Parts: sequence; C-alpha cells; structure tokens
Amino acid sequence: MKMLPGRLALSMAFLSSAACVSAVAKPIAFADGTTVMAEYGAGTMTEVQAFYAPTFRYSVGGGHLSLNSDVNDDTRDITYVRFNYLPKRWNFESAQANVFVWGGLGRAHIGETGANELTWHAGGQLDYETRRVYSSLRTDYYDASAFSHRIDTLQLGVAPYEHDYETLAVWFVVQGREYTGDLFNGTEWAALIRFFKHNAWLEAGATREGKLQAMLMFNF
Amino acid sequence: MRISSLLLSFTLLATGVAHAGTIEMTVNGLVCGFCAQGIEKTLRKNPATQEVLVSLENRLVAVVTKEGADIADADLRKALTDAGYDVKAIERTQHSMDELRSRLNK
Repeated sequence: MKMLPGRLALSMAFLSSAACVSAVAKPIAFADGTTVMAEYGAGTMTEVQAFYAPTFRYSVGGGHLSLNSDVNDDTRDITYVRFNYLPKRWNFESAQANVFVWGGLGRAHIGETGANELTWHAGGQLDYETRRVYSSLRTDYYDASAFSHRIDTLQLGVAPYEHDYETLAVWFVVQGREYTGDLFNGTEWAALIRFFKHNAWLEAGATREGKLQAMLMFNF
Repeated sequence: MRISSLLLSFTLLATGVAHAGTIEMTVNGLVCGFCAQGIEKTLRKNPATQEVLVSLENRLVAVVTKEGADIADADLRKALTDAGYDVKAIERTQHSMDELRSRLNK
C-alpha cells in the first residue's frame, strides 16, 4: 500500500486530534447511484436524506433534519435541498481517501417560537478507509437569523476481518459528536456496530447515556 | 464446391464466433462493497458484458464478454475511471467465471 500523502496525513492527524470524530456514510455512493439514509442520533438529532449521483463526483437531493436540544426545549425542523461534491479522491492499492463538501438551502421551523425561516447549510467530510480500519471526520453547519448550529462527528472503526463483496462486512465503531448552539453540552460519545452487505447498511449502538444511536442506508 | 463451403464455414467461425473472453483488471481503491456495487452496475450496462466479478481481496474486476464481443481497453479504463477508480492493469484470459471463482476462493 502506498503511503498516505504527507499533507493528507497531516490533515487527518490534526482532525483526529480535534474532539469531534464521526464516521458517516458517504453522500455520493457511486455513479448513477441513489442513496437513501435515515439516522437516529440519541434523541438529539434525527435525519433522513435521499441523493442521486449522476457521476461519482457529485450528487443532488434533499433531506429533513430534526434537532432537539438536550440543554433546553429548543427544537429545529429543517427541510433542505443539497448539492454534494467530491473534489478529491485518493485510490491506493488497498485503501481509499476522500474529501467531500456540500451546501444547501432550506426552510427551518423553530419550535420555541413557531417561526419559519430560510436557512442555509454547508459541510464537509474527510475519510480514509481500508478493509480493516476506517476513520471519518464530518462537519455540518446550519444557519438562519434565529440560530446557528454546528455538528461535528468523528468515527473511528475497526473490522474484525477483511470482508469481500459477497461477505457480510462487520465494523466496530466509536463515534464522538459535538454540537454547538445550546443543543448538547460536551461531546456525545457512542459505541456502534455496523453491518453492510451489497447495497444495505445498518449501524446501531448506544451513547454513554444509554440512548440509541442508529443509521440505516441503502444504495441502488 | 465442398472446399469453398468449408472455407466459408471456417471464415464465419473465425470472425463471427471469436471467443467468449475474460478481461481481468487490477484496480486501486477497492475497499468496500459499495465500490464493487458501483463498478458492477457500470460494467453491466455495456452490451458486450455477460458477467462481472469483483474481488476486493484481490483488487480484481473481471468481465466475461458475450461470444464474439469485446470491450476495448480504452472503454474499460473510462468506465472504471468514471466510476471513481484507477485501473492499474488489464489482462485478457480464457478463464471461465467458475475457474476465477475457484481460484479466488483458494
């Protein structure tokens, strides 16, 4: 396997040292592919998304995000359209690394006031994976006149064996997630187990507080 | 008359029914099932494709072509590049899909 380019390795090391690590599914599965995803994030966030990728470089689609503050009674319901772009991919002999960025517009319903506002969001993801280890750092920023939230997620995963296309892939994953904007105090840590085979992906586990963290994804 | 018929038959066999060949490609970046799924989907769109096999372990993408059909190297490279992967080598063999599977399972 080739060595990770120095700049990327440095970036990964820097990102890994930040308190937020999260392995999230890629927003672009493959060319002419559709991705449908639903995530339940320990009661703090719930999200559904659907994207279509005409090429492996970009995808378009939309989603709905519900945020429920663990600190107070604030809630946000954001429905959005999004454009995802893959500016850089590294294909190594037995590994792959990607940089994704995205941005979108939507409508946010603010629970505590009942108001509806135009909102925009932007984000990015850096990931590196082999068939035995996986790391992903993702950040999402949502902004409207009444709020701004950032959600940073880091995932580090280890596979007990190297899967192949026809075998079930199993991953043990640790996830750390940080919320800004009075959504959650501190970092929300979770231990997850992930299964995927062919076009289906299931991930489930619990946070340190014992709350469910789960994700379901299909690519076709 | 008989000889000309034989010659015609031979010519037809040689040109029309060439071979149901196998194309084996070594590919970088194959690390997950979704990679394999995307590549398989892309290659199956080619009318010359009969069967596709992807092995992450062996970094292998194999295509068995239909009888008398072939896919140019340039088209294969473009298909894999457009799917987001790097083709490092292309080799044409006469291995059947069963032979490939049993070789990979060893």
